[in-house]
Amino acid sequence: MSKILIENLHKLYNPNKPNAFYALKNINLIVEDAQIVILKGVSGSGKSTLLSLIGGLSKPSEGKIVINEQNIAKLPDIMSSAFRHKEIGFIFQSFNLLEGLSVYQNILAPLALTTLDKEAIHEKVSRAMQLANIEHKKDQNVGSLSGGERQRCAIARAVVMEPEIILADEPTANLDKENALIFIEILKKFKALHKTVIIATHDTLFDDLGIIDRCVQMRDGELLE
Amino acid sequence: MLSKNFVEYAILLLFKDRNDHLFSFLIFSFIVFILSSVLFISDSLQYDLIQSIKSQPEIVVENTRAGRAYQMHEGYVYDASKITGVSSVEGVVEGYYYFAQKRLWFHIIGDARLAKNEMLIGQGVQKAMAELYYKDEFHFLTEERLIKVKINKIAPKGTNILSNDAIFLNPNTARAVLGMEMDEYSKLYVSVPNPNEVGNVALKIVEIYPTAKATTQADAIGAVRHLYYYKGGIFMILYVVSLVSFFILLKNQIGLVYGEKKKEIAILRSLGFCIKDIIALKFIQNTVVSLSAYLLGVALSYIYVFMFNAPYLRTIFLGNELENSISLTPVVDVNLLFLIFLFGVIPFLAFVILPAWKIAISDMSEAVKS
Repeated sequence: MSKILIENLHKLYNPNKPNAFYALKNINLIVEDAQIVILKGVSGSGKSTLLSLIGGLSKPSEGKIVINEQNIAKLPDIMSSAFRHKEIGFIFQSFNLLEGLSVYQNILAPLALTTLDKEAIHEKVSRAMQLANIEHKKDQNVGSLSGGERQRCAIARAVVMEPEIILADEPTANLDKENALIFIEILKKFKALHKTVIIATHDTLFDDLGIIDRCVQMRDGELLE
Repeated sequence: MLSKNFVEYAILLLFKDRNDHLFSFLIFSFIVFILSSVLFISDSLQYDLIQSIKSQPEIVVENTRAGRAYQMHEGYVYDASKITGVSSVEGVVEGYYYFAQKRLWFHIIGDARLAKNEMLIGQGVQKAMAELYYKDEFHFLTEERLIKVKINKIAPKGTNILSNDAIFLNPNTARAVLGMEMDEYSKLYVSVPNPNEVGNVALKIVEIYPTAKATTQADAIGAVRHLYYYKGGIFMILYVVSLVSFFILLKNQIGLVYGEKKKEIAILRSLGFCIKDIIALKFIQNTVVSLSAYLLGVALSYIYVFMFNAPYLRTIFLGNELENSISLTPVVDVNLLFLIFLFGVIPFLAFVILPAWKIAISDMSEAVKS
């Protein structure tokens, strides 16, 4: 169970340069355990930046992000990476699969950092593939998959380490309606598994979903809640 | 400590990108192949020459006059044999005969086991003579007369490094060919059983005959080593130049590949790989590439030198005045191979890992969005 606490968060790009600009300004946000939160806003409003800061992919200029009573903004690389490995599952708009590998090999990537035996690894990958409904394509090269299948492969990889938090950046932007609805079904599974999910999107599909606990508006790097 | 799962995944990613690594693998193999071949040839020739020097007596004495080699008479043999510590002195007839029709020099060596009208010749000599139809007999042309000698035997191929340009003749026939008097010698072989006395005996010989030059085994071995250090040195410079060029090419290629691979590194970082993991991943992959390229280069050069007798490259060391088809003795200097490894594989890894580290420490958020 994970509670996310964000306090006075700022992200300044190109500091001390003429083109310096704030991507995030004074963000304060609390995401409770097992909540599904939507970050809404137009492109450039700071949604993706906020997700990358929560996931520890980049460091804030100011403020703190406390997850499980740990300020991840202050963690050194080795610890923030270990935290991301264990606690965070990323789902990206462009799927970010490792091209040239099969579905199974892509999902295997986070498990390369573990010392699990072959059997345990296989079990974890199978469970993740089942959840994302991509088991039937496990030996197929990701280059030959459709957009929806690539998305489901990326989801399986995001959940293979059974993280408590899932961060999804525009997960339906590259999907057709049918595949977007499949993603919603998977989202329901996340809800049932009590995962904390933060989705950055401007897709109206999420507007009236019963499973969404909270919707936060963003504009010009600020929260408008 | 790297886990088995991590190493396996690094290898999996390496095979996925095998085409990107092919260029550096092939070029590096080729450079290692050339350098190892040069070192193998040089070591093998040095080994054979040093062995032949070791089979000779401890001191070789030559006389000089006006800076040129000059004959020695029986008196030299007698005087040298009276020096304390000398067990025996043998006079040797040796010199060079100019074969004008082919513009070649043959090495004439006196051998008392041969009859006056017969000779034993090296394979290079045989070939040169056969081209002018001297197959059973050869005519040595001297100032006074023509000396006909029967070609009795060809020296075996295994001795070619020493015998390729050699003609072994009865000492008296050799004297006649070289224009020497019957009691004259070109060299003296002085045997000294006590190794600690060799230097003193050499000095005493020079004291008795100030125009003589007494070369000990150690001096002769040193001269051979110097000759091959010089030839090997030229190759070492060429190696350094080619290696530097290779690394410049490698750097450019890495720049291109890693530009494309930036996203892959960003994806791995988003999955929980830390900077150390990315460096370890690239280290494993490029260790496999460079080590296998190194082993391939060394193995191919071993086959090229010791099984095929190093065609083309051999002539650089032996010269091509007389075609020389020697068999190179397999000699492998592990220290030198380690040196090639040290100066090849380690810079290779540094050149590859540094760009990966630079990418891994950069902000990943933009790379994963693209």
